[in-house]
Amino acid sequence: MPILTIKNLSIHFYTPKGVRKAVDRVDLELNKGEVVGIAGESGSGKSTLALGIMRLINYPGKIVSGEIYFNEENILKMSEDDFNKKIRWKKIAMIFQGSMNGFTPVFKIGDQIREVMEIHGYNGDYDKRIKELLNMVELDESVANKYPHELSGGMRQRAFIAMALALNPEILICDEPTTALDVITQAKILNLLKKLKKELNLSIIFITHDLALLSEISDKLYIMYAGAIMERGDSLQIYKNPKHPYTQLLMEAIADINKDYIKGIPGFMPDLANLPNGCRFSNRCPFAMDICKKKEPELKRLDGDRYVSCWLY
Amino acid sequence: MIDMSHVGYIDPNYIFYIKDLKVYFTKGGFLSKPHTTKAIDGVNLKIRRKEVLALVGESGSGKTTLGRTLIGLQKPTSGQVIYNRDGNNPIVIDPKVKQIKKIRRELQMIYQDPYSSIDPYMKVYDAIAQPLKYAGVKSKEEINKKIEQSLKMVGLPFDLIQNYVFQLSGGQRQRLSIARALSLDPKFLVADEPVTMLDASLKGEIVELLSKINKETGITILFITHELPIAKIIANRIAVMYKGKIVESGNAKTVLTDPLHPYTKALLEAYPKIDPTLKDTYKTINVKEEGKVISNGCPFYDRCPFATQKCFEQNPELKEISADHEVACWLY
Repeated sequence: MPILTIKNLSIHFYTPKGVRKAVDRVDLELNKGEVVGIAGESGSGKSTLALGIMRLINYPGKIVSGEIYFNEENILKMSEDDFNKKIRWKKIAMIFQGSMNGFTPVFKIGDQIREVMEIHGYNGDYDKRIKELLNMVELDESVANKYPHELSGGMRQRAFIAMALALNPEILICDEPTTALDVITQAKILNLLKKLKKELNLSIIFITHDLALLSEISDKLYIMYAGAIMERGDSLQIYKNPKHPYTQLLMEAIADINKDYIKGIPGFMPDLANLPNGCRFSNRCPFAMDICKKKEPELKRLDGDRYVSCWLY
Repeated sequence: MIDMSHVGYIDPNYIFYIKDLKVYFTKGGFLSKPHTTKAIDGVNLKIRRKEVLALVGESGSGKTTLGRTLIGLQKPTSGQVIYNRDGNNPIVIDPKVKQIKKIRRELQMIYQDPYSSIDPYMKVYDAIAQPLKYAGVKSKEEINKKIEQSLKMVGLPFDLIQNYVFQLSGGQRQRLSIARALSLDPKFLVADEPVTMLDASLKGEIVELLSKINKETGITILFITHELPIAKIIANRIAVMYKGKIVESGNAKTVLTDPLHPYTKALLEAYPKIDPTLKDTYKTINVKEEGKVISNGCPFYDRCPFATQKCFEQNPELKEISADHEVACWLY
């Protein structure tokens, strides 16, 4: 039984230009102690999916269909109050791309972590827990008495991770957690997340556009394009043998220190308010056939947990 | 003309000579204590004609300031930038000097964010025509010819000229900003993180385009980036910058396969690689967190695993280790 199961989730944005299908019938499974990586370009709907799990979709966006199960409970059926008391930050916490800038500059780090704990109803010794958290993310205990501006970007991101772990959640959603950091700090934060995963048996959803970075942490991989999952499966398998043409081209487009070239993918992503009838990648796909322009392929199971949404298979 | 007698011998193979360049920014000073940021702190660098030089470093290392100083958008605090336009007419770049106007056209820049570097409510035609008019091109035919040529060069269809800039996609906009720079027949182009804001699927196209332009027209390009793999693909030579100083420079392949400076080594070690077998291992990063040590010595002193007392006291100068490979480190 996965700790988090998403079934047929659709999130639409009702804009003056039409209904944008930011997340379109997405299925996802996250097992205990596992890292699920979600890769996609900007506008592919990966952040909207994460916000959907936290139930943070605001007007003009709306979750129009689907179910999200935490263990066996459908969290979309819970009242907002219930969800806030039982799930948000207690069971599922989240860190963001710019979260190191999310601290208020006028309060000390320790006080800000304390406030989050108070709001979400932590019972126990606050001071002891804050020290424990700072140790966990490899920060000095004195950081609790410092103001955000006294810390570097990497240290603030660590402090934010500590804040996310304050109520001992089971799932941590990381939305581009290292994109705003320099390369050396990025590698250190990645080491930290791997360590936390092991020590706390944390389940992680790791969202990024950087396939190289994702390869270094994810157990399972989901490739998203224009709101839908194009391919999913075991991370090792997909990197070794990508099946979907989009995944293949995306791997070619990623710069890697061991490569001497990168290739672009001609064309651009379709308008989310005006998706084509057939496959949403068909206008850029070098293998597109007649059927690709007419009928949308389903996410088909190839073998094991490998799924591909493409008429080639 | 400016007195060039003190400049000394200028090798015609180099388009830029940067001598002990310093650019400091001072903030405050009226009610508060003035605070000085040393954006560029003693840079010595030569740029070869027709090469692509990648300037690599993290944000805040002074890459953009160096690029702006080279093309005369930023006044140096001290030191000199000498632009050697055709081999025997060296000019000192200084935004205050009148002669700068005549050569501005030859020194162009493209920016990181194509969404904010071009006015979205301009037509594509005007976006290219306006700089041409400022540069003194008056005849309509010549302007049209230039627009056609430069759009062709960057692979944009000519029919686009009556479209508004906001109608273009991100990749098209970045192509337009390259076309705009090319229309002025520059000799030197500063490309300031030109692919950072673009999606993975578009990066490759722009990198290929800039590489093609360099090969076909011989325009020297200073390619500013924080992404080492991109630098590897496009550059002939690489200069690594850290806190306003060049810590290592040389042939791109040599620097990346045989890095010398502890900072370059750490960067290469830390850079993510497409390798899913790494998921259960930790990376060894010896570099410490940035401290607040103020020293006159090496800028990397507080983070370096090999730092000694000498590193704290004295700043290492760039030293040639092998042909076309220099490093500023007391280890060598």
